[in-house]
Amino acid sequence: MPRIILRPALVTLLIHGLLLYLLTANWETTEREIIRAKPTPNVINARLVDISEISKPKAAPPKPKAVTVKPKSKPKATPPKPKAVTPTPKPAPPKPNPIPKPKSKPTPAKLTPPQQSNRDAFAAIVHDELATADAQQQATVTAGEMSASFVSLIQRTVVNYWSRPPSARNGMECELSIQLIPTGEVVNVTLVRSSGNSAFDSSAINAVQKAGAFPELQNLPSREFEKNFRRLTLIFKPEDLRY
Amino acid sequence: MKRLLTALMSITLAISAASAWAQLTIEISQGADNPTAIAVVPFAWQGVGVAPEEIASIVDGDLARSGQFAPIARADMLGNPTTEAEVFYRDWRSLSAEYLLIGRVSSEPNVLRVDYELFDVLRQAKVLTGYESGPASDARMLAHRVADAVYEKLTGVPGAFATKLLYISVDRVPGSNDYSRLTMSDSDGARPIVLFDTHEPLLTPTWSPDGKHIAYVSFETGRPAIYRQEIATGQREQLTNFSGLNSSPAWSPDGKTMAMVLSKDGNADIYLMDLATKKLTQLTRHYAIDTEPAWMPDGRSLLFTSDRGGKPQIYRYDLSSGKTDRVTYEGTYNARARVSQDGRSVVMVHQAEGRFHIAVLDLVTNRMQILTSTDLDESPSIAPNGSMVLYATKYQDRSILAAVAVDGEAKFRLPASKGDVREPAWSPYLAR
Repeated sequence: MPRIILRPALVTLLIHGLLLYLLTANWETTEREIIRAKPTPNVINARLVDISEISKPKAAPPKPKAVTVKPKSKPKATPPKPKAVTPTPKPAPPKPNPIPKPKSKPTPAKLTPPQQSNRDAFAAIVHDELATADAQQQATVTAGEMSASFVSLIQRTVVNYWSRPPSARNGMECELSIQLIPTGEVVNVTLVRSSGNSAFDSSAINAVQKAGAFPELQNLPSREFEKNFRRLTLIFKPEDLRY
Repeated sequence: MKRLLTALMSITLAISAASAWAQLTIEISQGADNPTAIAVVPFAWQGVGVAPEEIASIVDGDLARSGQFAPIARADMLGNPTTEAEVFYRDWRSLSAEYLLIGRVSSEPNVLRVDYELFDVLRQAKVLTGYESGPASDARMLAHRVADAVYEKLTGVPGAFATKLLYISVDRVPGSNDYSRLTMSDSDGARPIVLFDTHEPLLTPTWSPDGKHIAYVSFETGRPAIYRQEIATGQREQLTNFSGLNSSPAWSPDGKTMAMVLSKDGNADIYLMDLATKKLTQLTRHYAIDTEPAWMPDGRSLLFTSDRGGKPQIYRYDLSSGKTDRVTYEGTYNARARVSQDGRSVVMVHQAEGRFHIAVLDLVTNRMQILTSTDLDESPSIAPNGSMVLYATKYQDRSILAAVAVDGEAKFRLPASKGDVREPAWSPYLAR
């Protein structure tokens, strides 16, 4: 085959291949990864998924109540006790050989070797956290871990402030887009998708407005903040109502 | 060539990077469901003389009793705005108020007008504005309507404050028969009016679906008979005069038929009476006692209490098929069912561990929930919006009326006059 045909043919093939890839690439993976606050008693099934970590083992398993980063200051009185999320800290399961904390290694993948099950990774992290409870944690906790704990912090805070109207029903769903600034303050709340019940939508917006700020986010490295927390999508979808 | 490829590659990378930037999504699937903090500021009085009623405190009381709202104490308020220009959101936010209700009351000869404005403190926006007007003598009703509008706006459920209650109050008369009065009051127990009184027993008052008539059992002739009475005129009509039981009248949802219990053939069974022709149809034929009929809101079937299974339980009679099936299985005693307007919840008297409670049965999930913690609870009656259940109970050796939210959270007692108060019946929504 003459080169004059072969070359353009190859290029065309390549371009088509690229286009095909772009069209079929699984855009959903990142879009649809939803972090859930399920009515499980002690553990919030929070999972932070980042495309950069998808190839690695589950970096940040569910966090118990023992959040590593303690709130520096509360802007308001502590919210009333939630119904389902009990604030009792879960004692760390005994672990004979805790994996030593890699002081200098920043990626969570290093913390949890691939062969370890999620549960072990979870236990290891809890154990580590407790072991270094009074040490300078922020320095040692990895960004992935921190993000996961902030996600669960945001969840718990919003859950505490969310008072559903009596017209709310399980399965109703509305979506908010919220904008944060590095101080953790909520600067904008927009209703992206309505549930069709304006009292329900208002209750969701008010839950975020009442929370007002998540000052703990100040402890996030700014790269992490920019990447995951400047804009957040919140889906309000009750599952614990009477009906 | 190479350049073209590099350019293509970098575009691809940029696009995949953008997809990696997709927003973090957090799902919230539970809530704390605390009462909503609302500040109801005293309304400005712009009329002549003294205001007939303190509108804001009636609204405040209505919202608080619902259990859905936690009104802010007046003593804590930093200001008393009565117009939008006087509203400083920061003041209310500092009190953790989520909503703010302000208003003005003005009067023209014989007409009172209540203007109100509702603000969302967190979003700093006016969310509702409106007015109610009517005769000054109906000032309390105007206040209840304001509360209804606020309740509906913020909960998505119509309010049921501008409704009425019927109940029987009984005074002991030494050396004589008890003095019974059929009384109608506002939904908060205020403004009681006696519709009928006698020195013989009165039982089971009930409302017509349009709220203009009532029916009840009176022993005034020496034996029980069912009477119908028009509220506005006080005009009465005796509907039954059979030997034996004549009890538990219940209007069909279309208002044309009345279900009742008669024992004229020797045993208590459920009958229907066509109110225009007074023609009777017997529904149940069973040697057991069938009593306390209650219509399902679609008018196609009735619930009733029967001891055909040995103990009193709730059964359902289907009017088209004539079939009867059992509704309640939980507990040894379930009686006097009343159905919510959406046809989903049935409230009843339920016996658990020897005590009589009010319970609610969800007909879809078949889950029974006990609502009251008091003893000897009886005669539940459900609000037209399905939010509260009114019932009679014992308190300090007296019979009183109490109410409980259908979710069991909020409870309150109605201000009791002297004597015993029994058999409450919550009105339907009333036309203005």
